[in-house]
Amino acid sequence: MKSEIIEDSPLITLVGPPNSGKTTLFNYLSGKNYKTVNYPGATVEYSISKLQKKFNFEANILDSPGIISLVPNSPDEKVTIDSLYSHPRFGIPDLVILTIDASQLSRHLLLAKQLLDSNFKIIIALTMTDLLQRKGYNISTSELGKELKCDVIKIDGRTGNGIEQLVKSIELNLEKIKALGNNLPKQIHNNFNVEYLLSSFNDFELIEKKVTSKILIEQKQINLNKANRQLKVLNNDLVKNNYLDTTTLKIDNILLHKIWGIIIFFIIMAITFTSIFWLARPLMNIVDTSFGFLSFSVHNFLGINWFSDFVSNGIINGTGAVLIFVPQILILFLILGLLEDTGYLARGAMLVDKPLSKIGLNGRSFVPMLSGFACAIPAILSTRTIPNKRERLLTIFIIPLMSCSARLPVYALLLAFLFPAKESWVAGLALASIYILSIISSTVMASIINKFKNKIINAEDNSSFILELPAYRLPKFSVVLSNSYHSAKIYFKKAGPIILILSSLIWFFTYFPNYNPKINSSNLSQEKVIQLQNSERLSSSYAADLGRFIQPVMTPIGMDWRVGVSLISAFAAREVFVSSLALIFKVTDSEHKLQSSILSEMRKAKIEGTNKFLFTPATITGLIIFFVFALQCISTLAVSRKETGSWRIPIIQFFLFTFIAYLFTFLTVNGLRAIGIN
Amino acid sequence: MKTAAELKFGETGIIHEIDKSHPSSRRILEVGFTPGQEIELLNTSIFNDPIAFSVRGSIIAVRKSEANCIKIL
Ligand SMILES: Nc1nc2c(ncn2[C@@H]2O[C@H](COP(=O)(O)OP(=O)(O)O)[C@@H](O)[C@H]2O)c(=O)[nH]1
Ligand SMILES: [Mg+2]
Repeated sequence: MKSEIIEDSPLITLVGPPNSGKTTLFNYLSGKNYKTVNYPGATVEYSISKLQKKFNFEANILDSPGIISLVPNSPDEKVTIDSLYSHPRFGIPDLVILTIDASQLSRHLLLAKQLLDSNFKIIIALTMTDLLQRKGYNISTSELGKELKCDVIKIDGRTGNGIEQLVKSIELNLEKIKALGNNLPKQIHNNFNVEYLLSSFNDFELIEKKVTSKILIEQKQINLNKANRQLKVLNNDLVKNNYLDTTTLKIDNILLHKIWGIIIFFIIMAITFTSIFWLARPLMNIVDTSFGFLSFSVHNFLGINWFSDFVSNGIINGTGAVLIFVPQILILFLILGLLEDTGYLARGAMLVDKPLSKIGLNGRSFVPMLSGFACAIPAILSTRTIPNKRERLLTIFIIPLMSCSARLPVYALLLAFLFPAKESWVAGLALASIYILSIISSTVMASIINKFKNKIINAEDNSSFILELPAYRLPKFSVVLSNSYHSAKIYFKKAGPIILILSSLIWFFTYFPNYNPKINSSNLSQEKVIQLQNSERLSSSYAADLGRFIQPVMTPIGMDWRVGVSLISAFAAREVFVSSLALIFKVTDSEHKLQSSILSEMRKAKIEGTNKFLFTPATITGLIIFFVFALQCISTLAVSRKETGSWRIPIIQFFLFTFIAYLFTFLTVNGLRAIGIN
Repeated sequence: MKTAAELKFGETGIIHEIDKSHPSSRRILEVGFTPGQEIELLNTSIFNDPIAFSVRGSIIAVRKSEANCIKIL
């Protein structure tokens, strides 16, 4: 991040209420591509960058989580407010740009007044004026500037309108500040009491009336309007519900309907999770075939030796086994992105607030839980928008149970084993039920922990749910597409190296020390010899030594050490399970398709030393159950430590979830066998 | 006196005062529920809680227990 900023150049901090267009403006100024979301509280960390070259002067800009007042209500708001008074790394901002939604003027002026009263140097960037204009109103920036005694500039961070004036004003203001010397801001939170709020809002109503005017078509009416304004008899409904988006009201009548609202909520969730399977199929086939072909050709080209085995098995099959699932992950990000961009998430949060509050969570837990389906790490970060500490800790506690995208490759492989490709819709339904299971288990877990709340999570606060429901918007498909591309790229960058390293390691441990086993090869075909060599090499490998050590743990759940080794390696990253299986079951054959050859090897595998099949419907279901519960992700533990402030919660999470995983796998495998499903 | 939590679906009311003893009262004020404002109950969630109001041209959802601190004329 260091290279992203220029030392010794001015710091400009972007602040503003949630959803007022900060990140959009930040992206335009910095040329970056951070995610903008139609939900209050999408940005929970600050991001910093230098101004794009094309603006011709040097400055660093900081994007921050939304705030509606200088008195924080939740940790994400505290991040912003603390950084205003003294950023831990960059000090006090030289200049503050406050974004204000023009259609929310009287509400958003509160922050302007508090900032000015605290001595901050601010410029107001007025956003969403296009929306206001469509409703027939106009705001005079010069009058508003006069009222507040600071620069006010209309901008649109999506198109770049007004940015030039904004940059000019930034330059002028910075010069002025330099000449006068920057007065330190005053921390006067105690002054922002109820009386302050009441009198401020009174002022804002007057200001709003003064600066807002109806756009009239005929000149005459404009004159009339002016006259009215002078007499201050401008009709009152200007400030009332006129700004409310009528389309939003109509959509809300359906989506927040008592019966339809819930039905649609479940349909949306079901479509989201089933489409991961069938939409991704064609793309996955392409990736699958390419890796199969690549591995096959390399193996043919290099012949039969350890190096050829390392490249074709260790590298190509090991990583390819996971990369096959990138299309599914991409589609998951795409759908979540579409949901985020419409404005539905805030409604979802409202719909589930009551049921969630019964189990000690909050409606605001909904979005973190939902993003837990993509990845637990940003999900845990986004719990900062939950004001109540106990509810926040409880949400963090259960997020690892949400079925994250790293589990997707594992489920997809196991489900493909259970349900042949022709019936991919059945696999889709099965996947949807795994997601439902993960929701059920997380809520049950929450309610149990909530019962013991004082033992495990002790913090008490005012439980509150006050959430703005933003106007609905048609999602911009191109933006969503590029956002999910970036998320997938981040996923790839993060998981890719781990998978590559672990695949190589696993290959090493399964290939050595007995890399050239002696086989009595008389009267045997070459193919048979290779097969015998492979199994001899594996059973005398380092991995096997480790495996025999853990065999006692694997026997009760109907599996052998080879699955055990794969499960252990999955603790580094869940996806590695798939590459580990691919390596242990040696899939290099002529089928030209990676996934189907993994599957056919799995179908042939027998529990070592017996004649029983290793992978049966019972053990596969058991494995799925294991992955539903087990916390196999080191980064999640680290983030949980950071966000909860101690090792207590991550340690409980790790042992509790892994124990539950083992227990339920045991019950599932043996239960299924007891009722005759093998 | 009525509270905002007692408004019916589609009913409007003018805010008279905010009960300052309620722990959420500051946030309620900060989002724009101030005396003199007209609010309308726009939507209720499935268990009639939380409820969504229009206030100052935007839609804000609050829990019933918190809407109780908004006194209506
Ligand atoms: N119509 C309109 N939409 C805007 C404007 N500026 C931003 N938006 C949209 O408003 C939403 C919220 O913007 P975002 O930058 O994420 O707000 P933040 O929460 O303040 O960072 C995004 O979907 C933007 O595309 C604007 O000037 N006009
Ligand atoms: Mg943002």
